[in-house]
Amino acid sequence: MSATTAGWLVLAAPLLGTMITAFGFKLLPGKTAGWIGTAAIAVSFAFAIVAFIELQAQSPTHRELTSSLWSITHTVGVNANASILVDPLSVLMILVVAGVSTLIHLYSVSYLEGDEGYVRFFAYLNFFVFSMLLLVLAGNFLLLIVGWAFVGAASYLLISFWYRRTTATKAGIKAFVINVVGDVGLVLGTFFIFRGTHSLDFLTTFHAAPHVFAKGSGGITAGCLLLLVGAFAKSAQIPLHTWLPDAMEGPTPVSALIHAATMVTAGVYLIARMHPLFQLAPAAEDVGAIVGAVTLLVAGTIGLAAVDIKRVIAYSTMSQIGYMIMGVSAGAYTAGLFHLMTHAFFKALLFMAAGSLIGAMGGNQSLDRMSGMRKALPFTFFCFVVGGLALSGIPPFAGFFSKDDILLQIGSRGGWYWALYVAGYAGALLTAIYTFRMIFRAFLGEPCAEASELIEHGHVFHPEQPTNPANGEVEDTGVGFPGPVHAIAERAAPMRIAMSLLALLAVIGGIVGIPKTTSWLDKFLAPTFADSTIHLHPSNGLLYFGLVLGTVVGLAGIGIAYYVWVVRPGIAPAVAKRFGFLDRLFVNKWYFDELIDALVVRPAAWFGRFAQGTFERLFVNGTLVGGTTGVVRAGSAAVRSAESGFVRYYVAFVVIGLAGIALYFLIST
Amino acid sequence: MIAAAAQLHGPHINWAALSPLEALIGGSVIVLLVGLLRPRFIREQVVPALTVLSLGATIGLTLWQWHTHVAAISGALAIDDLALIMTLLFAGAGIAATLLSWRGLAPRVSAHGDFYALMLGSIAGMFVLVAAQNIITLFIGLELLSIPLYVLCATEMHRAASLESGLKYLIIGSVGSATLVYGLALIYGATGATDFSAIAASISHGHSSDTLLLTGVALVLVGLCFKASIAPFHQWTPDVYEGAPTPVTAFMAVATKAAAFGVLLRVLDVMLIGERSNWKPALAALATITIIVGNVGALGQASLKRMLAYSSVAQAGYILAGVTVATELGARATLLYLIVYLLMNIAAFAVIIARERATPYGDDIDAVAGLGAESPWLAWPLTIAMLALAGIPATAGFIGKFFLISALVSGGYTWLAIVLVVGSMISLAYYLRVIAAVWMRPAPGPSIATAVGVPIIAGGSPEADVAAGQQLELTFVAIVFAAATVFFGIVPQPLFDLVQHSAHTLSGAL
Amino acid sequence: MLSILIWLPAAAALVGALIPARRVAGLLALGGALGSLGITIGLIAGYSGHSTRLTHVTNVDWIRSLGIHYSLGLDGLNLFLVAMTTFSFVLAIAAANLRDWERSRVFFLLFALAESAVLGTFLAQDLALFVAFFDLMLIPFYLLLGVWGGPNRIAATLKLVLYTFVGSLLMLAGAIALAVLTSEHTGHPISFALSTLAASPLHKGTQEWIFLLFAAAFLVKMPAFPLHGWMPDAYREMPVEVLAVFSGVLSKVGAYGFLRIVLPTMPAASVHFQTPILLISLASVIYGSAMAFTQTNARLIAGYSSIAQLGFITLGIFAFADQGAQGAVLQMVNHGIVVAPLFLIIGLLAARAGGSDDIRDMGGIATRAPILATCFLIVTFATLAMPGSGNFVGEFLILLGLFKTKMVFSIIAFTGVVMASVYALRVFIRAMHNRVGPQVQSREISLRYGLVLAPFLAAIALFAVYPQLQLGRSEKSVTAAIAHEKALTQTYDTLAGAIKK
Repeated sequence: MSATTAGWLVLAAPLLGTMITAFGFKLLPGKTAGWIGTAAIAVSFAFAIVAFIELQAQSPTHRELTSSLWSITHTVGVNANASILVDPLSVLMILVVAGVSTLIHLYSVSYLEGDEGYVRFFAYLNFFVFSMLLLVLAGNFLLLIVGWAFVGAASYLLISFWYRRTTATKAGIKAFVINVVGDVGLVLGTFFIFRGTHSLDFLTTFHAAPHVFAKGSGGITAGCLLLLVGAFAKSAQIPLHTWLPDAMEGPTPVSALIHAATMVTAGVYLIARMHPLFQLAPAAEDVGAIVGAVTLLVAGTIGLAAVDIKRVIAYSTMSQIGYMIMGVSAGAYTAGLFHLMTHAFFKALLFMAAGSLIGAMGGNQSLDRMSGMRKALPFTFFCFVVGGLALSGIPPFAGFFSKDDILLQIGSRGGWYWALYVAGYAGALLTAIYTFRMIFRAFLGEPCAEASELIEHGHVFHPEQPTNPANGEVEDTGVGFPGPVHAIAERAAPMRIAMSLLALLAVIGGIVGIPKTTSWLDKFLAPTFADSTIHLHPSNGLLYFGLVLGTVVGLAGIGIAYYVWVVRPGIAPAVAKRFGFLDRLFVNKWYFDELIDALVVRPAAWFGRFAQGTFERLFVNGTLVGGTTGVVRAGSAAVRSAESGFVRYYVAFVVIGLAGIALYFLIST
Repeated sequence: MIAAAAQLHGPHINWAALSPLEALIGGSVIVLLVGLLRPRFIREQVVPALTVLSLGATIGLTLWQWHTHVAAISGALAIDDLALIMTLLFAGAGIAATLLSWRGLAPRVSAHGDFYALMLGSIAGMFVLVAAQNIITLFIGLELLSIPLYVLCATEMHRAASLESGLKYLIIGSVGSATLVYGLALIYGATGATDFSAIAASISHGHSSDTLLLTGVALVLVGLCFKASIAPFHQWTPDVYEGAPTPVTAFMAVATKAAAFGVLLRVLDVMLIGERSNWKPALAALATITIIVGNVGALGQASLKRMLAYSSVAQAGYILAGVTVATELGARATLLYLIVYLLMNIAAFAVIIARERATPYGDDIDAVAGLGAESPWLAWPLTIAMLALAGIPATAGFIGKFFLISALVSGGYTWLAIVLVVGSMISLAYYLRVIAAVWMRPAPGPSIATAVGVPIIAGGSPEADVAAGQQLELTFVAIVFAAATVFFGIVPQPLFDLVQHSAHTLSGAL
Repeated sequence: MLSILIWLPAAAALVGALIPARRVAGLLALGGALGSLGITIGLIAGYSGHSTRLTHVTNVDWIRSLGIHYSLGLDGLNLFLVAMTTFSFVLAIAAANLRDWERSRVFFLLFALAESAVLGTFLAQDLALFVAFFDLMLIPFYLLLGVWGGPNRIAATLKLVLYTFVGSLLMLAGAIALAVLTSEHTGHPISFALSTLAASPLHKGTQEWIFLLFAAAFLVKMPAFPLHGWMPDAYREMPVEVLAVFSGVLSKVGAYGFLRIVLPTMPAASVHFQTPILLISLASVIYGSAMAFTQTNARLIAGYSSIAQLGFITLGIFAFADQGAQGAVLQMVNHGIVVAPLFLIIGLLAARAGGSDDIRDMGGIATRAPILATCFLIVTFATLAMPGSGNFVGEFLILLGLFKTKMVFSIIAFTGVVMASVYALRVFIRAMHNRVGPQVQSREISLRYGLVLAPFLAAIALFAVYPQLQLGRSEKSVTAAIAHEKALTQTYDTLAGAIKK
């Protein structure tokens, strides 16, 4: 089987899974749907591996395979086929996506147990995986945009999966609209590029671009900046990031899959995929790098202050993607993708663990309520720690190599990139702090009520009156609400298996890119980035310095967290009081929501109301309709008043008219 | 003296060519006499039958004379396409009017004989008018047409409104006639000729800017515009139309107007063709005023007859626009529109009469409310008539307007075409009001259902044919004319062929 | 052939109207519509799109004296509009069959007449014939709205008819002027045949005022801002089955008129008025969207969204770029097959929300109606032109064409894309999601109604994966339609460039 055939089958499997679960939703009893969904993705993963092997069989110079089935549009110069591009980059992506997705599906089989929307969930989830794979396999801009929008739609559907929670629907539409803004950026960017290259096909475009666009010329820069808008919206980079924290309204597996491991990293993939174009627009690259750096810092600070455990992880995701965006924008493509991969492992793991923890808390997500869960959830605790260490970049965990690789490459570019380098390590410190703040607060200390219930009576806490953790609204467990069952990893084999595997990957994932020893990933991706004009040759000194610094920073962060939240628990509020301004800033998420609200939402709403209340009423109905009819009515009144019914007046009119005409005749000659 | 008598012999008369006129006058006399007989049957059935018969004869003879183009009575009358087409039109209107008033009130109160005789007489007048070749016959024709109508308007003697309308018509009509005759006198004074052609000749020999003549022209125009109810000489129209017995109104609305325009064509395009440059702008102005006044006035009229009166003013405006351009195309468009106008108006009036007899609401718009559900056989004709008057496609009204506009544009009067269009826009408001009443409003309270037989298209109730008996001929007329309206809307070519040559007989200057 | 296509529905319904039995009328009307649909499918299969020539031409004298012909013809421009028309009418009539109407026979007669008139408008190749059908089209809808409409229908009919007839009467004058002046200009006898009129354009000055008359008619019909005053009332009162085709099909006639009549016969004027028209369209896009996300009446939201969509279409046409025009024609069809089911679904929602069209009275309808929810979801995504839907391809081409010729307009127009996502999802969420509304009884869609909606969804899917089906066939004709304008604008640009240098 050729690599491209495998590629098509990679797409086909989840689509089939969607169809089966969607059409058979009435017929699938119990967990059948869950198993079908998982199987579909597993199959897809298997084909991804086939594709990988087939691709490796090709000679390095022939590892960009395309295949197209039919032509979507082939008219007036706009030619786009349903075509896929199978090259090392896309294969890496499908491996990561399909692999992680399989495990998360497996996890969900138990986690969603008892939910009224069980089948719907897996239909959506399969659809998401299909879309994501379409995104990364797309062979031309049109298909990329389609996948791009589909994942947005799937994300919307899953965020507002519990659709009778108003908080969930709000978060959903927010995410969707911001993603549409991203789509618009992507489409407009495509227009700019199409104007130059007259092609939508990736390879054609990439080969043509250097000839039609002068480096740094306006057209390509505008195009790439607009592509960045798309990337930022999808990857939750400032200022288009506000949807991601709210997206935590979705079920935890969704957060793990879409809002940590796969979709949100699409921006990184986009920049890597478009690197031939970005390298023609250095300005755009710099913008990307800087925004990435800013995002990783800002998100880190917010992570320090957030109390909702899922939001803490969400902000950490933002921050980590900041690293990747910074990396790929600065030309450290392999490093960025390396981090993308490892991050997928440990962040998915963290979310799964959080899911299990929240299950034990009976759906509650607030860190303030949690403590001393360690004894209650030993396995979850273990996973948390592994994930946390990987996230904080402690050797030899996966995150350690990937993060330091990015910073190393950036440092090696010298110049003002040093600022990014510093920012990166500052961010690393923050990462370690907020990660272990979360872990310590949740697991150490005195067991909370839920924990002790689990330890002593051995059954998971269930609130007799379920409420929406976001706004305290009372809810039932009917369709559109979370199910009555709260699953924890300790009790559900599928969850445990999935988490164990991810934990394993989080530990050893770094092996593919250990500098100087195994640079497998570099070698594998080399064909894709062969045409890169940015060649980085970091010195060994910098490398070793970075590895050491990374370790030190990570451990320091953990130390600080331990000191503040375990040794001297009272200190945190004091610090918060001491730096009141910063505290408010972080707690309020740097006021980005308020900013966007004031700049975009309110004006739009005002314009709508104006159009509605004033313009439509006064002009369209008042002037256009009322005015004309008014004139006509007045005329009719005049005519009727002239129609007095008295003969003498009529005669008078006759005479006047006659006089008028006679006069006209006499004058006209 | 005897010798003198022998010397004196009357002019040569072409009896054959005049046969339609003879049929009319003869018919009129016979009807009058038969009407004196006692038996009710004869008065109520035979007399109308005879009227229809004589009108039928007129039509027959007209067709027999078709394409003859002769001057009868030594050039006093011209029997040509124009005259003959007009005659058909009058006779058609006459037959319709007879059927409409057959079992009506008016003939019963005024003796049947008188009623129908007067009508035939007036039609004879119309014939003379449109055939006239000199100013004398023109005036005779006009009077012969008008005087019977004055009486007919007042035939529902017990109704004050009817009497009032008769009186008003008489007074203002006389003013009009006076104006006309005075104008004719002046023209004679200016040119010293009575024949149209002679007058035209002398005008072309450079009296064109003679004050006397011009004043005369003005007076003549006003006199004729008055008959055609052109604003601002239209004001008698609403009152008279509303007051007069509805069949008479219908007759006046179509026949009188047609006659007036027929003679207008002759006078302007033959006699005064030399003055074209002078009267064209004046007529354009009059047309504009008429279109606007008519349409605006018709808005929000509760009385259907009054509404149709104003609408007839507006339509007169359209037709006048056709006369204005003074081209052969214009003349043809005018004639075609007159025919179309006849069809749609008669259909509308037939329904109104039916409702007058069936409901307590007279000619108020309530009378037709809910008609669609109650008796589709009347509802559809009324709907079609209104749509046609509004100029909707697939009706003859559309074709008529279409032809008029194209004549205007090609005659260089595009702005007038726009005025016409704007007028039609306004007219929609009141025509559609009627349709809305018919289909979208429930019948106000109980009224005698009037559908005929089993209603075929929707609605209708089984007990529909209570008073059907005395509605039959009305429904018949309504359906026939509505059907014709639609037919000529889809297959208009015959109309075009009919009017094809009519304008040739007008002055060669066209 | 085309005559059969046009008159079959009317004929069938007329028979139905004459048979005094209750159900028959509707079924016969449906049969007639199906017949036309069948013919259309045959036509699509038979149409290659290799040339711009008209096919299946019928051409007989109608009014010799005025040079008016009963001439019909099919080409890439109207092929799929005809298909969309027959398709939507079949399903709308089918939907109407699921309800009981008082005086059902008149109802279906008028419904079928409407279809015939619309088809005639799309197929007419003679200006006078086009005008006749264009006006005729309105009468059935006027009565359908006035007789079977909501409580406040009379006022609605008046507005509707006055607005649209004002437009079409102006067009009537314009049409006649166009033909007469052309015949005087060329010296040939008068003819209303479009080919003749396009062959010899008038002087620029003359074109310009005639253009305005036509533009008035078409912009009102769409409707375009600010000539949409008739829309809210009419949309609020019309029966949904009628509204589905009214909004889905009739609104396209205006846009089609520009492509079929205005651009070919009045190129100079079209170029002269390009910017004003583009501005109006842009205003329609933004204003329509803004209105749509403040409205609470679901029908009006859909209505204002159509204003925005038609704005996009007009933008595409007046971009005078091949992509724009192609996109516009594609979008006409897409919008048709999307908005029709949207209105049908709104009808279903209202039925579940205690008869109210107001989204404030809805909510949580999805709970017991997953299938209905899915249908609605798909339609919603298509409405907001999500990539992957045919509507996206259409919008993509439109904006790409506009981007090439008038970049600024294109970039501003994108705001409309974003706003669309807001109002479309807003309706969906407020209706299907959130807490269950007080009057709401969530009920699954009935099988028969599902069968009515299914073809729409199938069509949406088809155009999503294979818009080429239409694009390939329409390319030649569409590009030919805007060829003059393209040439003119390009020469102007080159001149401008030369002057700059």
